[in-house]
Amino acid sequence: MKKNSLALLFLILGNFALAQNNDQILIAAASDLKFALDSLVTVFKGAHPSAVVDVTYGSSGKLYEQISHSAPFDLFFSADIEYPLRLKKSGVTASDVYAYGVGRIVIWSLMDPKNDMATFLLKPSIRKIAIANPQHAPYGRRAEEALKYFDVYDRIKPKLVYGENISQTAQFVTAGAAEAGIIALSLALSPAMKKLNGHYYIIPENTHQPLEQGFVVLKSAENNSLANDFKNFMLGSAAATILSNFGFTKK
Amino acid sequence: MIGVSLKKKLFSALGEMQLDIDFTVNEGELVTLYGPSGAGKTTVLRTLCGLSIPDEGCILVGDQVWLDSGKKINLKPQQRDIGIVFQDYALFPNLTVRENLKYALKKGQPSTIVNELLELMELTNLSDKKPELLSGGQRQRVALARAIVRRPKILLLDEPMSALDTTLRVKIQDYILRVHQQFQLTTILVSHDIMEVIRLSDRVFLMDHGKIISQGGPGDILPIETLKQMVGKLLK
Amino acid sequence: MVQWDPFVLTFKLATITTVILFLLSVPLAYWLTYSRYKIKYVVEALVSLPLILPPSVLGFYLLLAFSPRNAFGKFLEQYLDLRLVFTFEGLIVASILYSLPFMVQPIHNGLKLLPASLVEASYTLGKGRLTTLLRVLLPNIRTSLITAIVLSFAHTIGEFGVVLMVGGNIPRETRVVSIALYDEVEAMNYGQANLYAVTLLLFAFLTLLIVYLVNYRSRITKVI
Repeated sequence: MKKNSLALLFLILGNFALAQNNDQILIAAASDLKFALDSLVTVFKGAHPSAVVDVTYGSSGKLYEQISHSAPFDLFFSADIEYPLRLKKSGVTASDVYAYGVGRIVIWSLMDPKNDMATFLLKPSIRKIAIANPQHAPYGRRAEEALKYFDVYDRIKPKLVYGENISQTAQFVTAGAAEAGIIALSLALSPAMKKLNGHYYIIPENTHQPLEQGFVVLKSAENNSLANDFKNFMLGSAAATILSNFGFTKK
Repeated sequence: MIGVSLKKKLFSALGEMQLDIDFTVNEGELVTLYGPSGAGKTTVLRTLCGLSIPDEGCILVGDQVWLDSGKKINLKPQQRDIGIVFQDYALFPNLTVRENLKYALKKGQPSTIVNELLELMELTNLSDKKPELLSGGQRQRVALARAIVRRPKILLLDEPMSALDTTLRVKIQDYILRVHQQFQLTTILVSHDIMEVIRLSDRVFLMDHGKIISQGGPGDILPIETLKQMVGKLLK
Repeated sequence: MVQWDPFVLTFKLATITTVILFLLSVPLAYWLTYSRYKIKYVVEALVSLPLILPPSVLGFYLLLAFSPRNAFGKFLEQYLDLRLVFTFEGLIVASILYSLPFMVQPIHNGLKLLPASLVEASYTLGKGRLTTLLRVLLPNIRTSLITAIVLSFAHTIGEFGVVLMVGGNIPRETRVVSIALYDEVEAMNYGQANLYAVTLLLFAFLTLLIVYLVNYRSRITKVI
């Protein structure tokens, strides 16, 4: 008797969870979009007042994993366009993969790097350097590449601390856990970080693979009209302006 | 009439021991199992209740078979019409005196017997108190009353007065006699207090090392025992 | 701007988990106390496992077990229309496993301390096992029951590692207070993060206070 009521409880709760709602979308987004996407969603909701738009931020690799295990997201914004392309190959997408910009990495610190990245990072006063975890965060991989390009990776490796995603990486630096960090330009440009009076130096594009960002509508949102509206919004000019304000340059 | 025959291998501090007993009790009798500690007396009581299973045995109560190891019959304690007073009284701490007695009622049994017993054991004033507020002697009386609520075929008393002083002991002995007569019980008492045994019993079974060495009226068996004990003390 | 959703979600999760856990744990603790089978030692060890197992380990195996990509997850989805990853229901299952020892152990310990003669007395008075459990055993381990319920509830409230693995971070579905806290710190919203943290801290403190008071009171009454 106990087992039956348990199953019943689960069914009831389950139905509430899986109910398809056309006024609601759940977005999985790379952490570098935190401030940019928050702004975009606010603008979008202005035009769709009754819409419920939720965003879960995380490292692109992690979100890709979750989506592969059927996490119930409707759209996926990835800092590395590779992930949405892979999802499309495995047949769990409901639209084309759209590039929405190119990300840039910067060195951020409360101390002034004075445009000389290599020397700055090697300074003894820089005891810890934060980068995103290269295993699943695209920004982390690019940071590694840039460090190798400047031939300082081996000497700096002992000082590296890894953030779960690029947001946490930035948080490490602002909280003082690391004296410097390689973070996303979009985060350095955010109001939260701007007011801290830090310094940033944009790392030249030729020192690492490009951070092509892309998004896609996922299969679970196939019949979700709001998801489609959001996709179109992202492809429009208003969105493009906001994105470039946050440092996402078009290719 | 009650017929008991049991064989069981027991392990005690004194080593291995073979319990091997055979006895009968007549209806309405009050008999005592008398003997030193470790003789197996408590095991006999527990087997009668169904709380202990012998290696071999047979228990016949009137025309009911409670245990027959040969025919694989072994009634559970719930199925045996028995009342037992444990050495630690085992009163339910969460229930009052009255509730402890009411718990014992059989399905459909009228609760008049509860008040009857409360009066008989002079517990009426204490009926709404929980066991933790009662003295040893009072708890004793509650345990005794509770064991009788169901009007069992056999009443078993496992060294019920071992924790009480002499004056209280005499009082409790009075109560035991009182209920034994009023409810026409068949009672088996376990004790190693000579005075008590003499006062209460119709018959005595002398037990040692798991066997019944002798049986008879208290006047026949016990004086020899008392002498033995006194001599033993003198020699020391 | 106060977000109430994580609090509501956390409270719902803790309540449902505690209720189900109680119904499952009483029979289990009873079996552990009174069973004669030697296998009960194995079961006892398994039950205690979540106490020392890193939450992420538990979360990892649950993720593998329940993922719709794997056999069991597929079965659940096909026949019961049930998904246990990234859903509230999944969190309930994970929480039940994670908080199991906190409910079972106090009840088991309480039962162990009761004199065997209580059970025997009840049997000789003609009562069966269920009546004995409900009218004699449980009422006499009230302190243990309260401790078990309060500890399990509080433990579920504080859950993080398992939820992160199995729940993702989905608003109003799996974003409980501990996850929301993590989120806000990452986003550098220290004000909001502090709100969550202080609430959890106060709650944990209150819980311990209740447990100690209840146990203290029962010790006092036993001295009489």
